[in-house]
Amino acid sequence: MKKVALTAMTLLFLSGMAQSQQKKAQPQKKEAPVTQEEVIKVLTSGLSTDPRFVWKVQQDEAQRICSQYTSREAMPAQAVQKVIQLSQSGIRYPQWGIFWGDWREGKKIVDNPRGGRFASYGFSDSPTDRGGNCYACHLIEKGAPGGTMGPNLYQYGKKWNITKENMNSPEALERVRAVYNIIYNAWSAFPCSSMPRFGHNGAFSPEDVMNIVTFLLHPDSPVNK
Amino acid sequence: MKKKTLLVLFTAGAVAGGLLSTKALAQVEGELTPEQEMKLVQEYNRFLAEGINPGEVWYEVGKEAIKKYNLDKCDLGLGPGVFKGAMAQLPRYFADAGKVMDLETRVGWCLQKHAGMTQDQVLKFVRQCWGKTGNCVSEYDGIIMYLTMESNGQKINVNLKDPKVKRMYDVGRQVYYARIGPWDFNCATCHAGKQEVRIRATRLWSADRPGEAGNAVSIFPKYLVRWGLPMTMHYRYAECIRQMRWPEFMPHSDLAVALSTYLYGTANGTEIKAPGIGR
Repeated sequence: MKKVALTAMTLLFLSGMAQSQQKKAQPQKKEAPVTQEEVIKVLTSGLSTDPRFVWKVQQDEAQRICSQYTSREAMPAQAVQKVIQLSQSGIRYPQWGIFWGDWREGKKIVDNPRGGRFASYGFSDSPTDRGGNCYACHLIEKGAPGGTMGPNLYQYGKKWNITKENMNSPEALERVRAVYNIIYNAWSAFPCSSMPRFGHNGAFSPEDVMNIVTFLLHPDSPVNK
Repeated sequence: MKKKTLLVLFTAGAVAGGLLSTKALAQVEGELTPEQEMKLVQEYNRFLAEGINPGEVWYEVGKEAIKKYNLDKCDLGLGPGVFKGAMAQLPRYFADAGKVMDLETRVGWCLQKHAGMTQDQVLKFVRQCWGKTGNCVSEYDGIIMYLTMESNGQKINVNLKDPKVKRMYDVGRQVYYARIGPWDFNCATCHAGKQEVRIRATRLWSADRPGEAGNAVSIFPKYLVRWGLPMTMHYRYAECIRQMRWPEFMPHSDLAVALSTYLYGTANGTEIKAPGIGR
């Protein structure tokens, strides 16, 4: 009996404490956390509403997921899986499927720094410019200055042991497909990578992507000299 | 008085004009020939070696413009016309506008209130030298240069204890990480991360490496040798956003204020040293 009374008293005391804590917490009135909608509203408030470009600020689901994490390491496995799944399912191939393209055409896109930039005050690219500005982030051909944000791609084909003899083997063509996937949609292999999803976003056609892959992997390409 | 303005404009013009030969052919960013690039680097190195910063010329331009546009009535948070140290405590909340504002947004507000400009006129005033590559002296750039230089030597001290400022800081931080647009970029693509990386030859500063955000923002407006004019923070945002392939940036927007609050808030404690100088 005594024990019960003691327990009851303890409980009463504890609940009283909890109540007083609640009261204390109330006047502070924690502000609601910043929502993604609020962020997008502020963001779009500062961008031109030129009807030609409003489509650019339609955030897709993968972008929404990636926006929530400061790095891939900070992403839960579920989010990583979701981005990979979204990205892989959207990959489209040229009508020929997987084949060797023209490395000279690929080189043109790789070397060209212009494409996609517009400002009414000037410094704009032309609508038909479709460079990838690849050297901004990658070292590619020997001696050509490039950035260090992405991996060094010099001798990328050699790295995968692609030679004139084996280049049409199933293994080599599987490598072509893997690199195609990365350039078409980098997030299919590296979720939320810094690299733009060039094919997915329509900056390059499937044929463009094929030519770039050929530039990187073909034994005749200067990349592999 | 008029003579002085003319003299100042002449000096600025001469300084910018000297570089015109380098720039006239370079109408578009990133299209310098190797010779032009070399000339530019030489010019830049000469300025560094001799301790010259042509950006300082804009201080006088701004001093005149502030009188001309009635900005001595403008309250940057320390009282009307009190400019010494005002930049150091911006962005802040302004009760009269009911908003958090950074320096440039506040100046735009004052231009509407005290100089009778419409919002469109302000935008035109702000962007008159955007995209120009020589001989362009804007009174707006002068005003921003003057107001910032009045806080030189002071430490950036954004009041993040004010819940309204703190919220703008939080929004700004999330904007910084928002992946959006046809090339999937966010601010953090280039300016975050512990590891040091380069875009072509340019070393990028990172918000994740201590002190670097401070070093980056405390020198704005920054005189750019290749354009012969000082680049204000909002022009910098516009250029980043152009490179990110987003639709064109609107100066004095909430987006600008959110970014400024995050960047200057992160830069708290850094001494203001305007103008900086860059290639």
